[in-house]
Amino acid sequence: MEQIEWNLLVVNYLFLAGLSAGAFAISSFATYIGGPHFRRVARIGALIAPFPVAIGVGILVLDLGRPFAFYYLFLTVQFTSPMSIGSWLLTGFIVLSLAYAALWLPAPFDNLLRVPNRAHLKDFSQWTPLAPNTIRRWRAILAAIGFPLALGIGIYTGILLGAIPSRPFWNTPMVAQLFLFSAMSSGTATVLLVTALLGARHAHGYEEERRLLVSTDVVLIVLEIFMLVPFLLHHALSTWSSASSIELILGGEYTWWFWIGVILLGIVLPLIIEAYELFPVILKEGAARYSLALSAISAVFVLIGGFILRFVFVYAGQASHFLPLVTR
Amino acid sequence: MASENKRRWGFVIEVKRCIDCKACMVACQVENQVPLGKHRNWIGRIGPTGTFPILGLKFEPGNCMHCDNPPCERVCPTGATYQRDDGLVLVDYDKCIGCRYCMQACPYDARYVDHEHGYVDKCTFCVHRLDAGQPPACVETCVGGSRHFGDLNDPNSEVSKLLATRDHYVVYAEAGTEPKIFYIS
Ligand code: SF4
Ligand code: SF4
Repeated sequence: MEQIEWNLLVVNYLFLAGLSAGAFAISSFATYIGGPHFRRVARIGALIAPFPVAIGVGILVLDLGRPFAFYYLFLTVQFTSPMSIGSWLLTGFIVLSLAYAALWLPAPFDNLLRVPNRAHLKDFSQWTPLAPNTIRRWRAILAAIGFPLALGIGIYTGILLGAIPSRPFWNTPMVAQLFLFSAMSSGTATVLLVTALLGARHAHGYEEERRLLVSTDVVLIVLEIFMLVPFLLHHALSTWSSASSIELILGGEYTWWFWIGVILLGIVLPLIIEAYELFPVILKEGAARYSLALSAISAVFVLIGGFILRFVFVYAGQASHFLPLVTR
Repeated sequence: MASENKRRWGFVIEVKRCIDCKACMVACQVENQVPLGKHRNWIGRIGPTGTFPILGLKFEPGNCMHCDNPPCERVCPTGATYQRDDGLVLVDYDKCIGCRYCMQACPYDARYVDHEHGYVDKCTFCVHRLDAGQPPACVETCVGGSRHFGDLNDPNSEVSKLLATRDHYVVYAEAGTEPKIFYIS
């Protein structure tokens, strides 16, 4: 393309949608492994989940050439268009995650959860509050339905780019997985950051909570590495167009963004910090060195790296092209 | 012929005959009221090739190839980009939301944003002229006689005859788009 058509607004949107999906997924995961230790993770993830994605979608609509025509997206389902499938998926996810967040409202707001009482339909204070049992059951149900939706959102943000053969940089199956793991990791990092900022105060089972978040994040970052290495190899060993396209991050325009932003800030540094925290446990030499400050720092690195990852992919992809390039 | 035989419009472009005068670009701008700074057709440049003093430079004119297997149509989330029975790939401007996904998908960069209206636009093979029985404006105006246009399904058309007798290629065949502009080098 003569110019970049998808700019930072799209980068933001992909990042925020992924972050929400990740926050939902870790919340749903924590709901299922259950127990009072993971309550706080489940609640914070649930309360965060609907908002970044909603903001992201708002940004995306504004970025359209004809924002007021956006409803045409919802008059049809185009099965071959990732964007069409994604729009429906996002709508479902936002609605579901809002309901899920409501079920996790902390006291005193949880008494807003009421069912209408026929005798006093007009008087909200007379409505029947939801029983704790019912709330728990619905949390579990929505967590179960929402988990695959959240994974779907994570994958979709990658497929949106990966399913475009004319942009060789994007056109590998690894992009979808990479974006999925990065989405899960940014969501987890956000929960890690918020819990670190709230401090140890309200947490029952502080140790368990830290272990869940930190080790989940380590696993996700390692999975990202497992996608980035084949991504680079695939391109390097593929067709001329494909091999040339990664020169954009191997000496070309986006090299520093990729190696400093994505690899160093987003992967290496958080991995080192989190490994440092977990090391005594891994070596069975004592208690982990969880520190809220370290958690916060590693989480911020993960988030910055995740954002730059979206930036590099959206921009470098648009700069990549089939070869030979006919100059115009 | 045309009534029984389904039509399939296409271009055959003789690269050697293009002299880079850009008359086709101007004709298109005027015919289709293309916004200033945008264009629906272009003159691609191949080369310079060879070693001094024997050098070559060729011009490869192009526009939307109205691909038989159009990736722009596949990715369009609203169905705004669609394919007509005669193979033309067109945009329904009412349905187009301006997401620009099709611009990512087109390997030929044939599309542009019409900023005044917010939708995405491109070459239509001058569908309004075709429907009135006239050839596209760029073909009519081509100074070097490089651009040929016609019904690829009609064996007696000029384009079919050229394709039957001359070596030809398409751009980015590996993209699988099955473009309907054929080049004779
Ligand atoms: S040339 Fe581009 S815009 Fe035209 S039909 Fe093919 S993919 Fe679509
Ligand atoms: S910009 Fe318009 S024609 Fe292109 S994919 Fe989006 S809705 Fe379809």
